[in-house]
Amino acid sequence: MEAVEYFEVECPEKAGGDYYRRIADVVLLDHNLIRVVLKLHIFIDPKVPLFVATGITRKLPGTVKVRDFADVNRKERKVTISIGDEAYLAPLLQILWERFGKERVEQPDRFTIMLDIDEGESENLEDIPVFDPREAIYKDLIYALQVIQPEGFKVRRQYYGNGRFYLVASEDTLPEDIEDIVRKKFSLMGESL
Amino acid sequence: MILVPVTYKGGIYRHDEIIDLIEDLGGYIIQKHIIAQEVVLQALVPKDDIELIRKVGKPLTGDITPSPLVGTEIAVVTPSLEIHHLPHASCDVAEYIRRYGAKTNMVGLARGFGKRIAQLNDEERDVINEHDLAVYLLGDFETCIEQKFPVLRRGIMVPIVLCGGPPTEALKAIIDPPVEGYVGNIGRFMHRTKEADEISRLDDVVEEVTRVLDKRREEMAKDPLSISPARLMDIISEKVDEIHEVLSPTPITVQMGGLRVKLPYDTFGTVLRKTVIDEGVTIGDLADVLPSRMRDYILIRIKPFSETNLMI
Repeated sequence: MEAVEYFEVECPEKAGGDYYRRIADVVLLDHNLIRVVLKLHIFIDPKVPLFVATGITRKLPGTVKVRDFADVNRKERKVTISIGDEAYLAPLLQILWERFGKERVEQPDRFTIMLDIDEGESENLEDIPVFDPREAIYKDLIYALQVIQPEGFKVRRQYYGNGRFYLVASEDTLPEDIEDIVRKKFSLMGESL
Repeated sequence: MILVPVTYKGGIYRHDEIIDLIEDLGGYIIQKHIIAQEVVLQALVPKDDIELIRKVGKPLTGDITPSPLVGTEIAVVTPSLEIHHLPHASCDVAEYIRRYGAKTNMVGLARGFGKRIAQLNDEERDVINEHDLAVYLLGDFETCIEQKFPVLRRGIMVPIVLCGGPPTEALKAIIDPPVEGYVGNIGRFMHRTKEADEISRLDDVVEEVTRVLDKRREEMAKDPLSISPARLMDIISEKVDEIHEVLSPTPITVQMGGLRVKLPYDTFGTVLRKTVIDEGVTIGDLADVLPSRMRDYILIRIKPFSETNLMI
């Protein structure tokens, strides 16, 4: 976990804490999240029982727009979009179908989309937001934390925003002062919620 | 004649000669796998004839190794079948024990997770009790194991080998009443076991399982079974033709004290009970033929000599 600036597992049982350190390491690596996480603090107390994971993400890439992965050529009513990166083809097609209708969107091959639209409609085509990586990473991150946490901790609360995230989980009802606990864990990393 | 559990690995060419030899010597083939050009036989063979089989097998690129767990069925119990335990930990252990000849079944509990909320239902309990031994794979925290294990062992009559993250000594200290075997330092983990120290921990599990089963064999030897399970398997596959139509890898699974026959109980329970073993002695005389809790299979529990006064 060299890529992560701060990584601590806090646990009253030393052996258990060491195991969970390894588990967190492996899970984040398997889910390709090592590069996303900047700081991570995990607190587990099996006696309560309580699992708290708090962390900070690196600066994430912004929204992917059409201009980032495709070229748009206009010829009167015919607009040709040449796709550079196929990864974003499916969400782009969804957006185009919704906006112009399937009958006006033609796809002769994998890397080309042809539209039959007015000049007015094609004006801001390059700036259509297609994919927001932050949303996907948030889902991946929370999923990975759920894999790390001890099984059976079915009562959960999770948060992500402004580059900060936390997940608290327990078998029983969460304690009322859970936000304070989370804040304390953030201050251990030298950050604030 | 003392039968020893062994694994024979060799080329597929003329392997039937080895099978014939083992059968002629009075041994039993428990399981036969054909993997591409290789044959793996798990068998019980007479101790004195191992050298002979090795000699006959040598020109056929055959090798014979002792496998202490051949002829046993072991349950590997995990708190659930979720990603938290699978594939690593649970499958690694189950697969590793299988290499030593045991037939392992994975029992994933429906509600075995958690400390306070862990439960074991009657079906799970009965299925585990149908095995020779149960390996419990629990988590990394002492506190949790201490609290949940009494619930998970409730009603289990077969020997238990408990595996968990804390060291063996710590496990021994928290379990009361004691179980038959403990292996520490093998709790929950999410990576494949491939480093030497991890493999050696899997070896510890096999060693502990072997030790516990040897002890059980010794106890059983004091009042031996009326018929050896391997012999009964041979008789059933000879006399009940339908068993050859069963597609599972082991249509008859050999256990230490009985057999699991993978035929529906309703149709074949009575047929098996009435199957003649030898001159007027039927299976029903020597064993209890019971419905298994696993699907609609049949479980045969062989009675000891002291109950039947017969030894075949």
